[in-house]
Amino acid sequence: MSDRRFPALSLATRNLSRQRLRAALAALGIVIGVFAVVTLGLLGNALSVAAQVAAVRRAADGRGTVVPLQSTGGTVRGTGGQSVAQVYGTDNPQALFGNGSGAVPSSHRQGALVGSGLADELDLRPGSTVTVEQNEYRVVGVLPPVEGISPLQPDSAVVLPPGEFASDDVSQVVVRANSPEDARAVASGVRERLNSRQQRVSVFSLTSVLDRISEFFDLLNGFLLAIAGVSLVVAGVSIFNVMLMTVAERRGEIGVLRAVGIHREQVLRTLLVEATLLGVAGGAVGAVLGAATVVVVATRTELPLWAVLQPGNVVVPLGAFAFGVFIALVGGLYPAYRAAWEPPVEALRG
Amino acid sequence: MSFEPLQRTVPPLALVDVTKRYESGGGAVTALSHVDFAVESGEVVAVVGPSGSGKSTMLNVLGLLDEPTEGSVELRGETTAGLSEAERTDARRESLGFVFQDFHLLPTLSAVENVRLPTAFLPDDVTDRAHELLELVGLGDRLDHTPDELSGGQKQRVAIARALINEPDVLLADEPTGNLDRDTGTAILEESRRIADEAGVGVVAVTHDDLVTEYADRTVELVDGVLRDV
Ligand SMILES: Nc1ncnc2c1ncn2[C@@H]1O[C@H](COP(=O)(O)OP(=O)(O)OP(=O)(O)O)[C@@H](O)[C@H]1O
Ligand SMILES: [Mg+2]
Repeated sequence: MSDRRFPALSLATRNLSRQRLRAALAALGIVIGVFAVVTLGLLGNALSVAAQVAAVRRAADGRGTVVPLQSTGGTVRGTGGQSVAQVYGTDNPQALFGNGSGAVPSSHRQGALVGSGLADELDLRPGSTVTVEQNEYRVVGVLPPVEGISPLQPDSAVVLPPGEFASDDVSQVVVRANSPEDARAVASGVRERLNSRQQRVSVFSLTSVLDRISEFFDLLNGFLLAIAGVSLVVAGVSIFNVMLMTVAERRGEIGVLRAVGIHREQVLRTLLVEATLLGVAGGAVGAVLGAATVVVVATRTELPLWAVLQPGNVVVPLGAFAFGVFIALVGGLYPAYRAAWEPPVEALRG
Repeated sequence: MSFEPLQRTVPPLALVDVTKRYESGGGAVTALSHVDFAVESGEVVAVVGPSGSGKSTMLNVLGLLDEPTEGSVELRGETTAGLSEAERTDARRESLGFVFQDFHLLPTLSAVENVRLPTAFLPDDVTDRAHELLELVGLGDRLDHTPDELSGGQKQRVAIARALINEPDVLLADEPTGNLDRDTGTAILEESRRIADEAGVGVVAVTHDDLVTEYADRTVELVDGVLRDV
């Protein structure tokens, strides 16, 4: 028989199989706790990453281009009606509004580009005519819809060549940096040089938005994980309770083990293996269920699957599993210790 | 003139002037009072006495399960007073066998596994010896039965086989026939007698039962913690 090599494991599994329902209920506590940690942890991570990456991607697409931007408001009319819209003037719409697909030209000398939202609203498409403040322009393109967070709102705007504006005043300069770090550096550089004596420009950097996003999600994640952690601690208490019941019922048997020459540490080990097995079983089920649930949620909602399946997320179910096992072990510690250290005469007296 | 024998035989287990007191609530109970006792190899000793006279206490002290308040327990002539808990545990496993009134078999283990239990955490495989012992006590056809599939007498035979697995010097039995009917009890006692004779194991059996004394080489009586020969 192979169980001679792991006597503690063999004795423990038999004892667990004796009270299957009770063992299953104790393990269920761990299942729920680990499930909660895995789902909340993975969802929090995925949401945070999805939001940040959407913003970073926009910031990193450009090659650190500096784009001056004029902006004003005006009445815009098309075949489908009229609307008050933002009017941007720039000679490089590709850098600001492009998504890399080539639909947006990199130099803009005549005609109008219309934001996707505005195009829908006013029934505009390439080739149709749009009237901006009494001037007619041919629509040369529709801007792709914006994903994520942007300091500009091109969806409901019209973009004209800068020559069409009455004054040459540039109201904004948009800097597209290569990385969030660059963006942060540029933002603080601009602040330092231009605003050192008086407030001449206001710097709005996307990285500060990113910082806010990650701060917010860190807080949210911490909060959710704390709640999930509490449910795991409750599971630990139920393991503690079950182990106390078990050792109370088996008091005499444990006394016999001690009497026939099994050492205190060996009894302790057997009982701890018992508690740990509850954690291993519950933790494995909880981790698999939790991960599967988050994947299903991702496929059914707008949460991108890649944000769930990033390699870094593997630590969430693994960590939750390990934590569940640890909690079960800790829950079994005191009952096992108390039973193993009880003098055998007293245990046998019953 | 008398001659000291050249080699004095050392009894495998002895109590030397043992007193055991329990401090409880109002006052102290003296369960054993200055008890001197020795069991020889191959000898069956019956311990009788009224309820509460200290029989179980004496057996627990002999079995290194409990420590005397005064005096000492000697295992093969050496005092066990200074032994650590781990050393006492090893001594119990290596030198003593226990048989209890209510059998105390592990319900999840088969007969063979129960017999092997004292060696469960040791590397050597004693399955063959467990089979032999179960055959010796007449359970060769019940090797893989669990305790709930065995009668009371059969359970006690498994317990005896378990007590013998490590070839102990002494078998300690607290009312081994207490939960058995007369015929089954007789069979168990014959078994013990045979084991004492064949294996040279000393047997100390506590009993209320007159029957036991028939199979014993000698009987001692405890009255209020004081031991005397009968
Ligand atoms: N743990 C204990 N604490 C206090 N007193 C105890 C304890 N164990 C035994 N005693 C007392 O010691 C005395 C002897 O008890 P013991 O169990 O040895 O008697 P016994 O001869 O085995 O009795 P029985 O035939 O009823 O089994 C009794 O008065 C008992 O109350
Ligand atoms: Mg008694």
